Amino acid sequence: MMMNPVLSRELRERMRTGRAFVVVGIFLSLLTLTAYLVYQGSTTTGDISADLARQTRLGRDLYEWVLFVMLALVLFFVPALTAGAIAGERERQTLLPLQVTLLRPRSILVGKVLAGSSFMLLLLFASLPVMMVAYLLGGIRPLDGLKGVGIICVIAILLTLMVTALSALTRRVQTATLLAYGFTALLVLLGPLLYLTMSVADGSEGNDVENPPALLLALNPITIVADAAAGDNTSNSGFSSNNPLEWARSGVIKAKSLNDDSWFAWFPDDNFRAQFRVEGKDDGFPAWALGVVGLADLAALLSFLAVRRLRTPAETER
Amino acid sequence: MTSTTDTTTIEILPTEPTDTTETTAADASVAVRATQLSKRYGNLLAVNGLDLTVPRGSIFGLIGPNGAGKSTTFAMMSSLLLPTSGRIVVMGADPSRKPRTVRRRMGYMPDNLGVYDNLRVDEYLEFFAASYGIARTEWTDLVDGLLELVDLSVKRTAMVNSLSRGMKQRLSLARALVHDPELLVLDEPASGLDPRARVELRELLKTLNGMGKTIIISSHILSELEEMCTDVAIMEAGKLLAAGPPRQILERLGGARNVRVRFANGASEAFSVADDAEQSALLRRLVVEEGRDVVEFVEESGGLEQLFMSLTEGIVQ
Repeated sequence: MMMNPVLSRELRERMRTGRAFVVVGIFLSLLTLTAYLVYQGSTTTGDISADLARQTRLGRDLYEWVLFVMLALVLFFVPALTAGAIAGERERQTLLPLQVTLLRPRSILVGKVLAGSSFMLLLLFASLPVMMVAYLLGGIRPLDGLKGVGIICVIAILLTLMVTALSALTRRVQTATLLAYGFTALLVLLGPLLYLTMSVADGSEGNDVENPPALLLALNPITIVADAAAGDNTSNSGFSSNNPLEWARSGVIKAKSLNDDSWFAWFPDDNFRAQFRVEGKDDGFPAWALGVVGLADLAALLSFLAVRRLRTPAETER
Repeated sequence: MTSTTDTTTIEILPTEPTDTTETTAADASVAVRATQLSKRYGNLLAVNGLDLTVPRGSIFGLIGPNGAGKSTTFAMMSSLLLPTSGRIVVMGADPSRKPRTVRRRMGYMPDNLGVYDNLRVDEYLEFFAASYGIARTEWTDLVDGLLELVDLSVKRTAMVNSLSRGMKQRLSLARALVHDPELLVLDEPASGLDPRARVELRELLKTLNGMGKTIIISSHILSELEEMCTDVAIMEAGKLLAAGPPRQILERLGGARNVRVRFANGASEAFSVADDAEQSALLRRLVVEEGRDVVEFVEESGGLEQLFMSLTEGIVQ
């Protein structure tokens, strides 16, 4: 039995440099700082130890803030740590010797993706103790906590795959890094920007309410995490949270409610809003699953292109 | 030196039988045969109708100025590039159609040193052993043998980035040998090396040739190739100008060679001869007929250089 050689080498090289430990340090420091600030912000208005409802709300808030910052760090660190995965090999001229071995192009890609994902998973698991603070305060169940971290792990793996594939399509690390950040920014902003643009265009006609397809907001990491982290405690259950994930949830609920009857409505036969616990129903296709499937499709397409680019013999030097 | 295994979970290209339809009796003595091989990049014809035969067991020098098409030819041999037209057969297989067969049987050392700086020397070779599907149980002996061969045993646990250029060059050669190929394709292996490292590399290549490996090498240092190569091919602007044993090419071109003779009285004279027969006649005349005390009779190097200069025109594409 033999481990993927590229994975084995990547892990060895990565953990040998001090960079890995610096990244772990920054990641955990920022999460701890977030938890501290949220806690401080809630306790400035008085002692909460005797107020169970406030404690629970704080626990929920803290959980969602930590999740949001965790996601933001994943969106920042994945391009930073992965963009040079294959472009760097090309730039250092180490790809050529690898391409004349018996490794398949997809083994090279898989090795790179597994190495990048392993490191991101290490970061996410290392941050579980910070998450436990929210659990101790209440407002979330252990399963909710795991679900939130789990969905961020899935996003981290898919994003690593997409960024590594983009890296295979470029020749220089600098280009690959710019492309990776541009792509990640598009992933986060394109849907909401399109939605807003269509809202403005739709509203200017004056004869209709603003109702662009809410689906535009689905293929978005923030929406995916917001939906997966919703749990049972949402705005309708008396715990009004105030954090970016809650804002994202409210935005999608509003968007969905505006086009439920349109031809482009999000699964007209289901009640998507139920997934955000607006009406307390739990049927329908979950929004986070829809988003993950969309991201997985995109990742599969990019991987296909990357494997084609790595294949030799080729018409031009790869 | 090593054997490969199929009991791996990683995706190693499976063993593929040699394409016997491509191997004829005549090819048994041929390591590489290119027929009207061409490679075009847009408007640039990098290799233009190359006909080349590399005998098995030879040390074959591919000579040419920068941009002559040597590296492109090597890339096509090594199953990295597809020819635009023509055909190339390497160790009995077409690299375009059977890349895995070719990769199993040849080791390629590109002109640029691609080494991973954050690995130790032994880890570096183990990584490539794994990439060729060699079983882990064989790695220790394999690495020991390769490091001994390239004289890097004392650097076994050193980090690759601490090695000198010459050592990195030898490590790259060890990497190309990791799967015990029959054919070695070395693109400018001596570039940037100091004289001692060059001599060591030359000796190493002779040793490998003595082990039965066919070696194809390109270099700008013609005096070294002259001493080492049994056959050469001279390319310019993508075209083959001449190929064969260097002396035969010189003789075919009617070129003279210089012989320097040193006498016992300290005097030294240069003579120009056309071929081996004329050279032996000269020696006989000096020693037997004229009775002079010859203490040194040396054919001056520079024959390949002379050949190169007389054949090439300095065309830049």
